[in-house]
Amino acid sequence: MSDIDIKRISYLAKLKLPSEKEEFYSQSLEDIIQWVDNLKKIETSNVKPLHNVTETTVSIRNDDIEKNNTTEEVLKNAPERAQNFFKVPKVVE
Amino acid sequence: MTKRQSISNLVNSLKEKKISVQELFDQFHKVAKENKNNSYNLVLDPDYQKSNIETSQERYSTGTNLPLDGIPLGIKDLFCTKGITTTASSKILSNFIPQYESFVTQQLLNDGAIFIGKNNCDEFAMGSSNETSHFGPVVNPWRNQNKPSEQLVPGGSSGGSAAAVAEGSCVASMGTDTGGSIRQPASLCGLVGLKPTFGSCSRWGIVAFASSLDQAGPITNSVEDAAYILNSISKHDFNDSTSSNHKRDDYLKDIDKKLDHKIKIGIPSDYLKNVTSEITAQIENTKKSLAGYDVEFVDVAFETTDYALSTYYIIAPAEASSNLARYDGIRYGVREEGGNLDDIYLNSRTSGFGDEVTRRILIGTYVLSAGYYDAYYRQAQKVRRLIKDDFQRVFQEVDFILTPTTPNEAFKIGEKLDPIAMYMNDVFTVPTSLAGLPGISLPSGLSSNGLPLGIQIIGNYFQEKKLLQLSHLIEKELSFNE
Repeated sequence: MSDIDIKRISYLAKLKLPSEKEEFYSQSLEDIIQWVDNLKKIETSNVKPLHNVTETTVSIRNDDIEKNNTTEEVLKNAPERAQNFFKVPKVVE
Repeated sequence: MTKRQSISNLVNSLKEKKISVQELFDQFHKVAKENKNNSYNLVLDPDYQKSNIETSQERYSTGTNLPLDGIPLGIKDLFCTKGITTTASSKILSNFIPQYESFVTQQLLNDGAIFIGKNNCDEFAMGSSNETSHFGPVVNPWRNQNKPSEQLVPGGSSGGSAAAVAEGSCVASMGTDTGGSIRQPASLCGLVGLKPTFGSCSRWGIVAFASSLDQAGPITNSVEDAAYILNSISKHDFNDSTSSNHKRDDYLKDIDKKLDHKIKIGIPSDYLKNVTSEITAQIENTKKSLAGYDVEFVDVAFETTDYALSTYYIIAPAEASSNLARYDGIRYGVREEGGNLDDIYLNSRTSGFGDEVTRRILIGTYVLSAGYYDAYYRQAQKVRRLIKDDFQRVFQEVDFILTPTTPNEAFKIGEKLDPIAMYMNDVFTVPTSLAGLPGISLPSGLSSNGLPLGIQIIGNYFQEKKLLQLSHLIEKELSFNE
């Protein structure tokens, strides 16, 4: 399983692995992927994927607007805010 | 371990004014405050609970007490609790104060329960030993009698919840179970742990790990206590689209009802292939304990057991990698500064997640990435259906399934370093989780080291009432707590 590109995977996951840990995670990932590889030998061409075990449960509600929280509450945990907005570094020039 | 008072005994003592709500709270709070097993990330101040304690006492005085009135409970630090720091035992959420209450904890509050504090757990519930917590490992209150100086794990991920109940700092604790996180720690700490059918208890307000598997449930001293809690928390909730709207039973009523018809219990021989004689003895003891009842034990065989862990370790990390994408340092949680927006994301996430969480995000990202999705994720979802069908085939022959809960007793902190060896802890609990079935772990005996071992009983979908009735009977016959 040498095809695991740890730099690409960590980039997709928005993680910046320190270079001294790249080998550790890469090896670990390879071991686990090899361990789960036994699934490939199961014949499943006629099996439908199972997304939700309670497939028969229908729990749809009307999309009515409810006001359950205030702007202040929503922003309460913000690391940085400006007036009624979350604040981040400038993105658009 | 000393004999614990049941919820029904405590409620009676409160009713008869043998003890006040304040005295009961103080008794448990005192043990919790010491936190000698690190089972709490946060212990609530008595002042904080003052008005709750007073209104609970008031209800007892006027005879209008609620089902869990004044009962001190621990809450896994994975449930959002309004105004109370909720960390998921992660650095990235270490400063997070929810502005709302999770559905499940709200039901407990509505029934009069009083929270002692937030129980330590594995980071984002990812672990089987409670060693991945940012706030340090939890210590199992039990000791190996042949090596009494060794500190043992309580199991995980709800390890703090189990240790808290075992040390006597709360009457019961709410845990969550994704692949065994209620049942395995309950087994390793000599307690009862119930994972209800997926969809029984709303996931709303529980920090998400793997949304198709996560389920809330209690860790308690007895089966009856588990029924008390389940009565409170098993309700339909429109805020969770997977919440089931079936009619709930009264799980307490007739819990001690005698078996009035013959039942069949299946024992999967493939589960017992590679276990020690001590583990097999738990199954044998259980069989013997029911010898005087109209119970038939039959051998059953699953075809998919060997694939369950692989399926789980694709599906759970895949869902985790999606669920944990929300932690980016922008709207809540700990932000690490960076020169631009992308650096804030990268720095906050890299510094905020521990090793095991990082590992699972990487696995999940890999199995969902272009070129691998069909081979891993889609294939795992198909095998998941085969596992579910396998259980349904067996349930056509039997009413319940009996297995060990874990392949081993509690082990030493720091002993299992290899992730795959750690994942093997959940070999008996993961299949049930993948199928979404209800499972309960009951204490069944002690190992030669004097450590608790447990059995798991699995019921069919939404058969919690029958599952608890049988468990109550087995508990009585095994007399573990006597």
